[in-house]
Amino acid sequence: MKKRYLSLLLIVLISFRLSAQEWVVPAENGAKLSPFAFSDSTRKAGAVLFQTNCKSCHGDPGKNNAIALVPPPPDPASAKMQGNSDGALFFKLVSGKGPMPSFKNTISSTDLWRVISYIRSFNEKYVQQIAPKSGIAGAAENVKVLLTWSKETNQVQAVISAMKEKRIQPIAGAEVKLFAKRYFGNLLIDEARNTDAQGKAIFNFPKDLPGDSAGFVQLSARLTDDAAFGEAKADTTLAVGVPTYRPPLNEQRAMWNVVQKTPIWLLLAYIFTVLAVWSFIFYVLLQIRAIYKAGINKNQDTIDS
Amino acid sequence: MSSEVNTDFLHDKRLDAIAADLLRPVGISKGFLIWMGFLTISLMGCIYAYYIQWDKGLIVTGLRDYVSWGMYIANFIFFVATSLVGMLISSVLGLIGFKWVKPIARIAEIIAVAFAAVAGLVIVSDMGRPERLPYVFMYGRIQSPILWDVTVVTTYMVLSALLYFIPLIPDLAISKGRMGHQPKWLQATYEFLSVNWNHSSYQYKILLKAVRILLILIIPTAFAIHTVTSWLLAVTLRPGWDSSIFGPYFLTGAFVAGSAAVVIMMYFVRTNYKLDKYLTVYHFDMMGKLLVLVSIVYLYFNINEFLVPAYKLKTADAIHLHELFVGEHAMLFWSVQLLGLILPIILLLFKFFRKPFPMLVISIVVLVAAWFKRYIIVVPTQENPFLPKQFVPHAWMVYQPTVIETAITMGTILLAVIIITILFKLFPVIPIWEMAEEECSGEKDKHQE
Repeated sequence: MKKRYLSLLLIVLISFRLSAQEWVVPAENGAKLSPFAFSDSTRKAGAVLFQTNCKSCHGDPGKNNAIALVPPPPDPASAKMQGNSDGALFFKLVSGKGPMPSFKNTISSTDLWRVISYIRSFNEKYVQQIAPKSGIAGAAENVKVLLTWSKETNQVQAVISAMKEKRIQPIAGAEVKLFAKRYFGNLLIDEARNTDAQGKAIFNFPKDLPGDSAGFVQLSARLTDDAAFGEAKADTTLAVGVPTYRPPLNEQRAMWNVVQKTPIWLLLAYIFTVLAVWSFIFYVLLQIRAIYKAGINKNQDTIDS
Repeated sequence: MSSEVNTDFLHDKRLDAIAADLLRPVGISKGFLIWMGFLTISLMGCIYAYYIQWDKGLIVTGLRDYVSWGMYIANFIFFVATSLVGMLISSVLGLIGFKWVKPIARIAEIIAVAFAAVAGLVIVSDMGRPERLPYVFMYGRIQSPILWDVTVVTTYMVLSALLYFIPLIPDLAISKGRMGHQPKWLQATYEFLSVNWNHSSYQYKILLKAVRILLILIIPTAFAIHTVTSWLLAVTLRPGWDSSIFGPYFLTGAFVAGSAAVVIMMYFVRTNYKLDKYLTVYHFDMMGKLLVLVSIVYLYFNINEFLVPAYKLKTADAIHLHELFVGEHAMLFWSVQLLGLILPIILLLFKFFRKPFPMLVISIVVLVAAWFKRYIIVVPTQENPFLPKQFVPHAWMVYQPTVIETAITMGTILLAVIIITILFKLFPVIPIWEMAEEECSGEKDKHQE
């Protein structure tokens, strides 16, 4: 009994300490604003993202059905959540803390802002402030990213260009990140690079990154400054990885596989045993029938009861 | 069971006396109606509890993410365990040739049928989405012990039912002409179920052959049913379940629970139906010895199951055993082990305690302890999962059964009692023809007098 109280006390103390610990957002991050205005379409897209990435812990906004974690994930419609500035919400989505994961490399910042626009739709008093346009505004829609790979140097080159004044021009000085798609999220390759005067950014590719069976790796290059370039990115698949063939665990017959891939010995043992036992049961049922028939035919040797 | 039936008893006057004795309790009496009324009304309450669970889901129980098998699965194991006694009494002891099991065999079979039939329902009570039960058959995997369990429980129930019904056929034929005062429908049932039985030696030959097949077949099936039930737990790596002796450990425990259940039923038949001529002090003495034997075997497996991990104290086992020996569950653990196992062994070594009434008291304690023993096996292991516990609420770590859960569990026990009551009341509970044959052929065990 004493032990139970102690553990209870410990749990209470831990949860108290965790909830008392404020999640401090640096001032410059807290002041960050969305590059675009929230609209029905951003809220709609945000709702879809929320369903797949957030709902499992935070529950449905306004229903207070978040799962019971310590500290508890706040309801998106709650004052606790809405008390955050847009920038603070963005910072928390990007950085993560404790049971809250970081979405830095898995969801693009534009999509994160869409999630925030969805969260804000549960706050009637909310009035949005939009970030002032910066950089080469107006070129956003026409940004092109081209990815190539040089085998000799084992480098991936990204060339960024945009339509400006009716001709294609390279974009210099833009920060680009290169990601390789992995099972869970995206892996940053090399480090963030700035484009040179020709709009080129060169990434050193590791020699030992596992690719698929033919060595293909899905790459994605993104411009980090959403405000200036929107969602400019390039997805491509290049044979830059080490060819890796790992037979899937469910390829062969195994105990953990689906019923169609039952190990043969087990299948035979099961079928044989069930058939053997049940054939005896049917034999016994036939004996009851035999008793019944014998009663009709053989009326001699009967005692009158 | 002998290989041939001496049908001389059919022409012996002593058959009439035996049939009159054994048929006296059969039929719808006022007491039966009151008792059934009480059971039915109680069951209605429990069904309402189940309706709440059906409507709201398993959230109305104490089951949460970590302890997902609570009272229900403990109850399921208890039901399967108790039903195994049908095999022990009829098959093992019967085939060896012990004559004293003859008047008890049918009681044991009734317990087997009732408990095996309800065991399937108990599993459904643990399902959050019971309407998905057909999925077990539609998408079941032969690799899963759950499918094996469904298979063997069904098979065992059919075998037990046949082993109850087939030796009953001659009794139905004998009873047919002797129950003029019974309602028409009951007489019609007897007529239908007696499948033209006319006591010809040919029919007896078929009957003995069929029964012999069943008696042999039910032994591996009964072993399979409880071994597979133990594998549902033992195929995991969890402390307290990860054990290579879980099959025999469960099996021997089952014999303890089942023997106790048989003794309770025997006492009821002996006193309420006034059949002390057929269920004598000798029978209780023998059942007492049987209970000691199976309890000692079970004690042996208990010592293995707890001493060996306690000597090694692997990290997870250490936490688990600490909870059982001195921790949260210590009170229940030691009560179950001492009252349900060690004390009965000591007491039943003395002849005085193998008399009917002391046997009844001991058996009730043993049976109740057997239920809590399953609880001790199922719950504490889940309260100490390998998963991290630091971010979860307290309710996930400590299991507390709710009233609704308890009511549903009570309901399953009531249902088993209802089945037993109906079979006890509508058909002779002690085999007339076997008693008469024994009496008339002078084969009766000398000790029984």
